[in-house]
Amino acid sequence: MLKSTIIDTRVRLVPSVTLLEFLDAKKEHFEKVPENVAKLMKNEGYTLPLSTQIVKEQELSIKRPNIDQSLLRRLCADVHVEAEPAAKSTGKKNKKAAKGKQSSSEEVNEDAEPPKEYKNVLYLTDMHWLNDTLIQMRKDGICNLFLFELIESSDLVLPENEMKPRNPELEARCERLRAEQHNREYHKMTKNVDAGLKHYPEDTIAYQIKSLNKQIIAVLQFVFSVAAGFTFGFFGVNLMVGPLPFGFRILLGVIVALIIALAEMYFLAKKLHEYDEVLDAPKRMQQTAPKPHREAQSGVQALKPHAD
Amino acid sequence: MVAEKLDKEAAGQLLDAMYLDMFHLIEEHTQCRVNLERANASGAILLARTRFQAGGCNSVSKAQIPTENSAEFNALCRVIKAKDENEVNIERHEVDKANGYVEPLHWFSVLPPMSLRHAVTKFRDCIELVAESTNLQRQLTDVLSWISKLRQSVLKQ
Repeated sequence: MLKSTIIDTRVRLVPSVTLLEFLDAKKEHFEKVPENVAKLMKNEGYTLPLSTQIVKEQELSIKRPNIDQSLLRRLCADVHVEAEPAAKSTGKKNKKAAKGKQSSSEEVNEDAEPPKEYKNVLYLTDMHWLNDTLIQMRKDGICNLFLFELIESSDLVLPENEMKPRNPELEARCERLRAEQHNREYHKMTKNVDAGLKHYPEDTIAYQIKSLNKQIIAVLQFVFSVAAGFTFGFFGVNLMVGPLPFGFRILLGVIVALIIALAEMYFLAKKLHEYDEVLDAPKRMQQTAPKPHREAQSGVQALKPHAD
Repeated sequence: MVAEKLDKEAAGQLLDAMYLDMFHLIEEHTQCRVNLERANASGAILLARTRFQAGGCNSVSKAQIPTENSAEFNALCRVIKAKDENEVNIERHEVDKANGYVEPLHWFSVLPPMSLRHAVTKFRDCIELVAESTNLQRQLTDVLSWISKLRQSVLKQ
């Protein structure tokens, strides 16, 4: 199993029964409801009054809330920290145990069990909406609840990596490549022990000179054609048209040579690139089939024993 | 009595805001880590590409990195504390050979290939992302501890 990248980075909240019941009880007071909340209530079997307006997620404002640090410090001035973590964790455990659902087992052994699909979840935008609505409702005196009281019994689903089994094709390929690598190392090691293995084509000087020759020829071709282009511009045009001034002849020659050089450069680059590929090819071939290569090699050796 | 009620109201709102902040931080942190993973992976791929293109396994390798016995040089990139005590920043220094700030790219070749340069920028991004992720994580821990404190004070009332 491999961990893949997290695709959905959103925090999700599985609403508890309390939260759902609260939503249901207060539904008359909602003017607008986010799409997701509407869907969730429908899925859970609650209905919304027709007058409620359903808004898209994008229309809701989500900003990080400003936290009044001085007020925070003042409120927490008389709180001792030590006792809290233990109390909190047990409180959470109790809640989880009381819920008795998939969440507790998931917390305990995350690896053993793949995370379940949560269908009905609240996202951050919904929570912002809920917070705003609650503030409004507290102002109007409809209810006296806070967001933290509503969500404390709900489960928080953190974004997690998806577990993916390794592709068997990839596994097979890796295996093959590893075997080839080992084989190559072994051949390298035993090269000077086994006489039959001694002469790989790329080890012989003839092979290297041959490939070098090809490139040298390509470069020489380039030089010759540029020189020929210059000669044409310098002498040829002069012969055709008549006596021209010396400076103009040089200019003509350079222009013709430049045009040819540009065109030739393109082909040269292409060719040299091809040679690179050709040079790499036998190495790759050898990895896949070292044995037939060896036989072919011995044939070559019989034909040209003077190569080295 | 009224003051107490007001206090409770304020504490409740504050706690709500902190929870929302926590969710925001979690999302941002996750996003940051995802970006980090991506940048790192593409950097590694580019590095592999460099080695593949240069051919052979000795072209770009560990052996070219300076060892203990090499000449001393200064770090180009440092982690420093930001003005806000709780945060870290990345400080980068210009390459300046005279003062011992050497360009690490030149250990590998005088004319480094394009893919190696790209890999360098990717890994640079990685460092920035790590710093960002650290800052977010610190903020998150802060918020969590504040939440637990505030909950206690709210429960007391």
